[in-house]
Amino acid sequence: MVLLDHIASGLIFSSIIVLGSIGLSLVYSIADFANFAHGDTMTVGAYSAFVAFGFVGGLGGAVLGLPFGFFAALLVGIVAAAVVAVVTEKVVYEGLDVDSIGMLITSIGIAFVYRALVQMYFGADPVRYDIQALRPIEWLLPYEIRVTQHDVAIVVSAAVLVTGLHVLLQYSDLGRKMRAMADNPDLARVSGIRTDRIKLWTWIIGAGLAGAGGVFLGLYNLLNPRMGFDLLLLIFAAVILGGIGSVYGAMLGGFLIGMIHELVPLFTQLGTVLPLVPDSFAIPISNQYASAVAFVIMVVVLLLRPRGIAGEAV
Amino acid sequence: MDNIDRRTLLRLTGGLGLAGLAGCVSTTDEGDGGDGSDGTDSGSDGGDGSDGGSDGDDGTPTETPSGGDGESGPYEIGMVDARTGSLSAFGQRNQRGVELALETVNEVGIGGRGLDITVEDSESESQGGVSAAQKLVNQDGVPFLIGAVGSGVSLAIYESVVQDTDVVQLSQNSTGLGLTEFPGLLRMSPTGRTQSVALADIIAEDGHDTVAVTYVNNNYGQSLADAFVEAWEGDLAYNQAHDQDQQSYSGLLSEMNSSAADAWLFVTYQAEFSTMVNEIYSSGYEGQLYGADSVSGDDVLSNTPEGSMDGMKIVVPSAPVEEDNFRAFASRFEDSFDESPTSWSAYAYDCVVTAALSIQAADEFTGAALQETVREVTRPEGEQVDSFEAASEILADGGGPSDVDYQGVSGPIDFDENGDPVGFLQIQTVQDHEYVGTGFIES
Repeated sequence: MVLLDHIASGLIFSSIIVLGSIGLSLVYSIADFANFAHGDTMTVGAYSAFVAFGFVGGLGGAVLGLPFGFFAALLVGIVAAAVVAVVTEKVVYEGLDVDSIGMLITSIGIAFVYRALVQMYFGADPVRYDIQALRPIEWLLPYEIRVTQHDVAIVVSAAVLVTGLHVLLQYSDLGRKMRAMADNPDLARVSGIRTDRIKLWTWIIGAGLAGAGGVFLGLYNLLNPRMGFDLLLLIFAAVILGGIGSVYGAMLGGFLIGMIHELVPLFTQLGTVLPLVPDSFAIPISNQYASAVAFVIMVVVLLLRPRGIAGEAV
Repeated sequence: MDNIDRRTLLRLTGGLGLAGLAGCVSTTDEGDGGDGSDGTDSGSDGGDGSDGGSDGDDGTPTETPSGGDGESGPYEIGMVDARTGSLSAFGQRNQRGVELALETVNEVGIGGRGLDITVEDSESESQGGVSAAQKLVNQDGVPFLIGAVGSGVSLAIYESVVQDTDVVQLSQNSTGLGLTEFPGLLRMSPTGRTQSVALADIIAEDGHDTVAVTYVNNNYGQSLADAFVEAWEGDLAYNQAHDQDQQSYSGLLSEMNSSAADAWLFVTYQAEFSTMVNEIYSSGYEGQLYGADSVSGDDVLSNTPEGSMDGMKIVVPSAPVEEDNFRAFASRFEDSFDESPTSWSAYAYDCVVTAALSIQAADEFTGAALQETVREVTRPEGEQVDSFEAASEILADGGGPSDVDYQGVSGPIDFDENGDPVGFLQIQTVQDHEYVGTGFIES
């Protein structure tokens, strides 16, 4: 059924957006500004993995159509994105004595710097990981689901990372401190939490997840210097839809936005998908307006719940 | 207090995000594939009209056609070329073509006289082009004007200087679709529209009844897709635009697939097309692929899996590289300039030769007389000749303009009623993940 295929691609696209939006929301909740360099942090992760894959690509066997080397490269991408974000925090953001609008504008500048550096080394033309491209999984084809093993790998890896974050936040000492600090930084500080250190960890986790999202985005599509920035607007939509500052809201928002984005093609063939309505029934909105539809739904949700889905009530 | 801050922040965030995106998106919209000459000249056409009008009054356009009346000196025509500015790369290639053409023409001579071309610089801008044309038409009094490179520049010159006179204007490099609306403005380079028509022919010839079309959401994509739809006589199962720089086109491709068309046509850019081919491959779609020339390139080959595009057909505007006259032109060009000619040089070469032939065929050296002959010397009625020398012989033996059908080094020319030449295109087929020329098509 064609519906299943769209849900499958929605799931894949959501996984990438979720990875991006968690970091954005985390940094917002603790560093207290909207980080526009977040999309380009994804790009940094993707290209770092690209370089690393050049060295370790042939490593070992393969799982889900991906050589073990790819997962090593994924780790490199995560670490590189985290390191770049921490260095930026130390060198730029930490020393800045401006309000959150000033920080926001600064982060746009940082985004341009990241992208320019990537472009200087790798050029503006797209590149891709040197991995054998796959055909769709055969036994799913009769159900009209067209996904490759790589797509499955993306979804599974994202699920593992998100679960890991959940465990970290709920059951570890660090997680408790992060949550305390997100709730009330001053109170957290007077109760003896070293907020500077927590802030640094937040950057590492947020940027690391973004790096992973970038690597998967590169696997899903191609790598180009604008890849992260082009996705950033959708990630913002996801974060705001979920309730900015809330990690679980970001997960939910990312899932919804990615899903809606990939389900828009169904609008023109609704009749064949829905029961009870005639086959000719359709909403005449074509796929090129997918982002617009995602944003309209975001606005509608915000009208009903001004703080987002998971945000506290006003 | 905290409340207000957050709301303001959200509002600003959204606004800045949009501004940021808008600012960046515009930086990538340049190369229209083959239509490089269209890129930069759109801006300043409107304001130029008044200059042309007022200068016409105090100039003395017809009294001093220098050189023309001096019975022995060379015929003097004008050319507006982009010698500086953003299109100067085209201008340089044009000048090489012009140089070779002048050599060719002056070896033989036009009824015992030579040909001389005064070249003025347009600075690649409409304003500069109009001033240059005014100088050539109103002061030098040339009856034949070759110019210009950019489509916007050519149109500005036509509208403010040439339109209400007898002067013949022949653009060497403009490919914009808009020029077709001005039958008085001739051009040597075919419009992008010829690609669409050729694609419609090829797809029908290959036996496909239904086609799904997707085009990049801008003027280039839209106009080519529109021209295709106009020319296509079969079933149009799908016809939608897509935006540039999207991270996923899987929705679009799944729609194309469910349209059940057997031919898929792409009018888009290389990066977008690479993404699409990867998704087509990983989704296992089976449509027969076709594309405009802007989807072909080494980048596409290196960023898509082996075998993912095999059998795809692309049309690319091309000089008739297998014809003898082009080969002769190319070898002379290589001797003189140490590199292979581009089609832009070939167009400029043909402009000069066509001008020379129309002068020889005309009774007198005036714009009105040249208007009569310039279209005739390349049209199919006469005897096909592929060099200036041969054409000139026919005219010297008493042949009229319609006894000659000059076949240019850039193609058969054959101006139609809109002043556009016949498009000469190469069909390339992807075989073993390489582009292989598999034939030529005129449209």
